[in-house]
Amino acid sequence: MRAPLSVLRVAVVVATLLVAAAASQAEVKTPPSPGKARPVKLPAITERTLPSGLLVVMAPLRNVPKVTAVLSLGVGNGTEADTHAGLATLAARVATEGTATRTSKAIKEELRAIGGYLSVAADSDATTVQAGSLSEFTPRLLALVADVVAHPSYPDKEVALAKDNLVQEVREQRSQPGFLGNERFLKAVFGSHPYAFVAPDEKQVAAIARADLARFASRYYAPGNAHLVLVGDFDVATLAKEVDKAFATWKAGEKFEPAMPAPPQRDKRQIYFVDRPGSVQSSIRMGNVTFPRKDDDYFVMRTANVIYGGSFYSRLTRNIREGKGYTYSPSSSLDTRAHSGYFAASASVRNEVTGATILEMLYELDRMRVLPVTDEELQAAKSYSIGNFAIELASQSGLAGRLNTIYVYGLPRTFLEDFRARIEAITPAQIEAAAARHLDTYREAIAIVGDWSQVKDQVTPFGSVTVYTPEGEVKGTFD
Amino acid sequence: MRWTLLLFLIASLPAQAASVAPRVPVVSSSLPNGLRVVISEDHSAPVATVAVYYGVGFRVEPKGRTGFAHLFEHMMFQGSANVKKFEHAKYVEANGGNLNGSTRLDHTNYFEDVPADRVELALWLESDRMRSLDVSEENLENQKKVVSEEVRVNVLNQPYAAFEWLDLWMNANRSWPNAHNFYGDLTELEAATIGDVRDFFKKYYAPNNAVLVVVGDVDPAEVSSWVQKYFADIPKAATPPRPDVSEPRQTAEKRLAEKDALASLPALAIGWHLPAQTAPDYAATVLLNTILQGDDSSRLYQRLVKEKEISLDWTAGVNLGLGNEFDYDGPMLLTARTTYKPGHTADEILREVDGVVADIQARGVTPRELADAKVRFRSAYYDQLESGFGKANLLAAFTLFRGDPKLINTVLATFESVSAAQVQAAAKTYLVASNRTVIDRVPDPKAKDAAKGGR
Repeated sequence: MRAPLSVLRVAVVVATLLVAAAASQAEVKTPPSPGKARPVKLPAITERTLPSGLLVVMAPLRNVPKVTAVLSLGVGNGTEADTHAGLATLAARVATEGTATRTSKAIKEELRAIGGYLSVAADSDATTVQAGSLSEFTPRLLALVADVVAHPSYPDKEVALAKDNLVQEVREQRSQPGFLGNERFLKAVFGSHPYAFVAPDEKQVAAIARADLARFASRYYAPGNAHLVLVGDFDVATLAKEVDKAFATWKAGEKFEPAMPAPPQRDKRQIYFVDRPGSVQSSIRMGNVTFPRKDDDYFVMRTANVIYGGSFYSRLTRNIREGKGYTYSPSSSLDTRAHSGYFAASASVRNEVTGATILEMLYELDRMRVLPVTDEELQAAKSYSIGNFAIELASQSGLAGRLNTIYVYGLPRTFLEDFRARIEAITPAQIEAAAARHLDTYREAIAIVGDWSQVKDQVTPFGSVTVYTPEGEVKGTFD
Repeated sequence: MRWTLLLFLIASLPAQAASVAPRVPVVSSSLPNGLRVVISEDHSAPVATVAVYYGVGFRVEPKGRTGFAHLFEHMMFQGSANVKKFEHAKYVEANGGNLNGSTRLDHTNYFEDVPADRVELALWLESDRMRSLDVSEENLENQKKVVSEEVRVNVLNQPYAAFEWLDLWMNANRSWPNAHNFYGDLTELEAATIGDVRDFFKKYYAPNNAVLVVVGDVDPAEVSSWVQKYFADIPKAATPPRPDVSEPRQTAEKRLAEKDALASLPALAIGWHLPAQTAPDYAATVLLNTILQGDDSSRLYQRLVKEKEISLDWTAGVNLGLGNEFDYDGPMLLTARTTYKPGHTADEILREVDGVVADIQARGVTPRELADAKVRFRSAYYDQLESGFGKANLLAAFTLFRGDPKLINTVLATFESVSAAQVQAAAKTYLVASNRTVIDRVPDPKAKDAAKGGR
């Protein structure tokens, strides 16, 4: 099964660049200094608004002969609470299962023929079409993207199958600690706010009819409520004509401006325990409501997150992984959306160290808001953010995703070029002040998925506990 | 509006003329100590990837030490002569990069994405641990705990416990290198000693068992001088013996039933043995898989998810969950996995699989299916070329396992030239019941053994 060794030897012999004659050198004990910094070349970005109101954003990136499309519609599963939970989710799913001129199978076969993919999914603020293909087939990809948003037909049979499968999928997800922890945590943090929604239950799915989906799409899947980001190997002038043609039949429609309530403010620490008998780990997630994506604290808290648990060499990883060996992948994240957001720290740990881990996670949060971060830590976090931003923008999907957030959240068009300066300006005092506002452990929501019978004595010292079944029913409370 | 459909059908019948294929620049060489070096320039962004691939993976780990190759991967972040425990991560991140490592069947890799002006630093870091890994008892004990938690979070505390690769490989194969628990039994991970770590390092982590790849916004001559500076004095070791990893030919279907204490829906996995990567019918078998179960348009997805409404999903692939069609060197499975709806059975699913496969065996695939499968494969291949890691991975795999990094520019031609007859022949040879292993995993809340990982 192995490649014959002789083949390997040939490759070695013909090697020319590094010659055997070069003198061998001694071990180097100190790290080399950086070379000359290379500026990040931002792509030329062209914006264009079609007569229908569709905003088109085009950024060539010719690294491979492919094209990436992100079409975002201003309606999500956090903005449709006035009708049915799950409506945005189902409308998105079934959009790819038939249009006025294509069956589900025809759509999938066309994607195969162009080396493409196309998915539609709803998150809390938006319904997003993610698509891509070989760039030689760009017009055909655009035609498909346009078809699923402009002419979805919601065939009865496809609606029925999607409803049935969604119920089964959610049932399957309820066996996963990651899903259960995320669901319970968001319910704890957002309460009755629409951002608490993760997945519909069986009754909610059953209540959705084909006509609801068709009405939903015809109202919200509208060019005035959308933007299209295109990144890849193309010529902008040619692409613009292809876009015009593909989207010509999309009937005009208005922007949707949802009225959103304010998120609840927590007044005490509380533990939400999902009892999953047989668990050999406790999956812990803790955090609180923060702020919308446009908030002034964004850059500061983003950097605080890198230091706390958002990078590999973070405080949390050094403490509970490299120091204590409690966990494999501790992490933290700052999720900021259009109207609110949250910070969450998480770790999955063996049952015996559940309490000890909660203690350390809280300690590291307190340290962020009580003591200033060191200059060295802050400089490292800034370099990490700036360097990885450049790495992200080097890929079509990375650049398309970043550009998309500018339009979803209404950020300044200069976001890409301002990023570096905004990060570099942050001070330790700003981190400490923002941490005091957003990492208050005395008002922490702590969601844990685990085996209650095994770990309850380790959990109760941290606050009052409500115990839930995986299906979300309250089993008991412990004060 | 049927004519619209027809129009598309006709339009895509002739083989598509490919756009100009991306040509990956390859500069390859080797040091006197045996380290193979591959450099590939790409100036589309000011970033670079540095990767070191060692020719050691799950298959050759010692008996009685399941999971050791992976445990050892963690050791490589525990310090060396000039880089203290975990400081590798500190250096890379504080210089704007990101990093990781992974253990696979036949290699273990370590890689960093960095801003292009930090490539020399990444090379210094990689050279320091290749030359002078220095793991203490205390740090080994720490990482045994970390890896045990990794096994819990990815296997023991999850529904299905990754059965589509762990259990399927253990049951589809008979030879120990292919048929043991790659993630590791917790007791065997716990038994590892510092002596095991030192022996493994000496045996497998020498420059002559490694490939160094640098891709991105770099000058090959400059990179070569750094490679010379940092790696040339690392001594070579005896070439590690390659144990026999071959697998006896399977002659009868294997069917297994497993119970799962954590799952709520049943799932099924199927593994078929594949021909060798260098076999003349390998490319045809890969394209057959694309047609059969490569995406939502494929025959099995359409039959089981859309027509029969038995399955919720259908995913399949070569090296599923571990890599791609090229980054391994030994026996391989083509794996399919499906979560299916309660009330249905494994027999029902297999009946449909048999029916779909029998049709291809009898009548072959359509010209359109084959043309599209080639487009699909090419598109996915370009996706790998787009990312620094994806490109480095292909270059390293072609160097380690095939002796020629330039295959990155020629391997697609092998797939483009596959004929419909070859695809049909592959279906007759490999997609037969006697060549497959099937595991049906059904929910059973009382099956506590499964939750504890007992086997």
